[in-house]
Amino acid sequence: MKTLKDLRPGEKAKVLAVEGCEEVKQKLYDLGIIPGEVVEILQDAPFGGPIKIKVHDYCLALRRKEASCILVEESK
Amino acid sequence: MREIVVALVGNPNVGKSALLNAIAGADVKVGNWPGVTVEKKEAFFKYKDYVIKFVDLPGIYSLRNQTTEEKVTIDFLLKEKPDIVLNVVDATNLKRNLYLTIQLLELEIPMVIALNIWDEAVEKGIVIDYKKMENLLCHPVIPTSAKDRYGIDELVKKLVEVYENKKFIQCEHFEPQFEEYLKKVVQLVKDYKPVLLDVYPKRFLAISLLEGSLNETLQKELEEKIEEIRQEIKSLYKKDVKTLIVEERYGVVLSIYHQTVKKQQEDVVDSSITLDRIFLHKYFGIPIFLFLVWLVFEITFKVSSPYVEWLDKVLSVISSWTLSLLDSVKAPEVLKSFVAEGVLGGVGFVLVFVPVLFTLYVIIAILEGSGYIARAAFLMDRFFGVLGLSGKSFIPLLLGFGCNVPAVYATKTIESEKEKILTTLMIPFMSCGARLTVFAFFVSIFFTDNKGLVIFSLYLIGIMVAVLVALILNRFYFKTKSQFFIMELPPYRLPTFRYVINTAWSRVKAFVVEAGTFIFAMSVLIWFLTNIPYGAKKDETILANVSKQVAVVFEPLGFGTWQATASLFSGFVAKEVVLSAMGNFYVGEKIEEEKKNLTFIEGLSEIGSGFVEANINLVKNFVAIFGFTKQQQQEFDKNLASAIREAFTPISAYSFLVFLLLYTPCLATVFAIKQELNSYRWMFASIAINFTSAWIVSFIVYNLLKNFL
Repeated sequence: MKTLKDLRPGEKAKVLAVEGCEEVKQKLYDLGIIPGEVVEILQDAPFGGPIKIKVHDYCLALRRKEASCILVEESK
Repeated sequence: MREIVVALVGNPNVGKSALLNAIAGADVKVGNWPGVTVEKKEAFFKYKDYVIKFVDLPGIYSLRNQTTEEKVTIDFLLKEKPDIVLNVVDATNLKRNLYLTIQLLELEIPMVIALNIWDEAVEKGIVIDYKKMENLLCHPVIPTSAKDRYGIDELVKKLVEVYENKKFIQCEHFEPQFEEYLKKVVQLVKDYKPVLLDVYPKRFLAISLLEGSLNETLQKELEEKIEEIRQEIKSLYKKDVKTLIVEERYGVVLSIYHQTVKKQQEDVVDSSITLDRIFLHKYFGIPIFLFLVWLVFEITFKVSSPYVEWLDKVLSVISSWTLSLLDSVKAPEVLKSFVAEGVLGGVGFVLVFVPVLFTLYVIIAILEGSGYIARAAFLMDRFFGVLGLSGKSFIPLLLGFGCNVPAVYATKTIESEKEKILTTLMIPFMSCGARLTVFAFFVSIFFTDNKGLVIFSLYLIGIMVAVLVALILNRFYFKTKSQFFIMELPPYRLPTFRYVINTAWSRVKAFVVEAGTFIFAMSVLIWFLTNIPYGAKKDETILANVSKQVAVVFEPLGFGTWQATASLFSGFVAKEVVLSAMGNFYVGEKIEEEKKNLTFIEGLSEIGSGFVEANINLVKNFVAIFGFTKQQQQEFDKNLASAIREAFTPISAYSFLVFLLLYTPCLATVFAIKQELNSYRWMFASIAINFTSAWIVSFIVYNLLKNFL
């Protein structure tokens, strides 16, 4: 199963589910990362730092660890 | 006059504070919410027969009762029961913002929605049918823009109107079947624990009970009945309740969004995304960041230093006036010394921080308001994650090398309570400018061959101890694994001048008022210790006697003399005074500046010309930031130097410097910690941590050097 962590800057994907610790899941939901939404990877920080994504109309930064909780399906 | 209490609620970065400033002007009171480190802002505004009290609640994304900010907000809304909720939403980012709006409606408090940042939405070609939105939300919606004061008057008018009408219409906008379940839960509460309905609004209560997020103990039967409903929902919708509720809310949001918002062009080129390509560039991002940090550092200290000098001058003029006044009434010497050193000295300790803090707060407000702070955190996060911190800790720690006091206040930008505490405890180990003066003096006596290396080693020890303290506290006290890091990167915006100045000013005011009393009192106390009995020999004052008793503690560190101990005592007040105090203890003479007797007119002209000079120096310093200037050579007192050379060996001197580096930097820092963390407990913890680590590290360093060199 692909997660958001596997995508590269410039790629878009549709969120299928959030699977990880409950706290992160709720936080991501509150911020609009819900099943069915399309997210786009915009940039990533050097040395394995956080990634920057676009969801709805705004930008969000999260660590790769959190990104690996977001199951996605690639979309064009 | 009747008071209307209006609570401002909204996501972070939607311009709530700017809107508050636009409505109420400069008169914003800054404090902390009781028991937590979250900043509280209040402002009053007179309108017709009313005084409208605005309470700016912390920025939140949801009413989940999880983070400190959410707890503060829910607590205020449910317990203080404001008359109106003013929900500030970002018109350019409606989907996420309306999610909170939907939750706020569940609280059944009359609400007005401000579609803020309207100007930007118009610019971006986003057309919002706000009249229709009003109908869909059942509450008034007003477009506003803090930048050009658009819609402000109408907003205030609407708030009063809503207050006078006092009615609340609850929309039932979820899926009908789910609404039935909510009603069932309410019925269960009526049957089993009706008292909850007096405390909580119905809809909020039903949803929180289903989510299991309500902070109340329930009877077993009630808990079981609710669990039954949860299971029923789960089998009907094939998903758990929490997810369902989130999806229902988003469903409402998206339906409102699609009915009211039209974008004229899809995917306009966003200037923020372009700017991020530069500022968050994979290879240039960090160098640009380091350059900006260096700039912040330089500007803070170079811009403020001329005014610090000027304030020094003003104080010496005032002190000269006061002394002549006391002379004219034949006041005894002891009173003169008390007023000049104890009282005015105490005022001075507070005032010299004002220019530094004001400059820093202006810069921080710009960085915060522009959205760059979030970028800095993004870039630095990788490095701080190891310590259980996030990228947001970098700027405060770095500022600590200039002065610990503003550094502690700079932790304002860290939201996580744990990270804020940890960062604050690390700051005192960052060697500040005042400590450098003492290092430079000792180094010029004992380590003339390796001056740079010795000073560098001290800075390094400070950093290493800070890291060690963070690791230990993380491992044994906080015990939480590295927290998650999910942070909005808000669009870049130009903060309004009004917002920047008002924010900086109200924060400085809070420091002067609160720190003032504290530092002043301590300074008076220290005066008593060093001067009583008055006229006694230098080794017979209270301080000297206490120091003689305490000195034994420093014996294992190599400097167990009463003079060294007394010097450390004065260093606790401020590192700036260590050298002059040492002159007093070791040589027996105060290294005094020449005292002039000034007439009133002379004094005034001194203050005036000093101010002009400060402004000239400001310009000079600004130029110097980008050029090279010669470092000023400090002149040291010769008598003191020879006394110190006799009193210390190079090894005990180094041990003394290590102690001086690591123990509590100054009273002002202690107070800043108390104020920023809003806790005496952490203040004392910080002092304890500093003294303990100072003693241990000095002990190790002294004994290692003694045995191996």
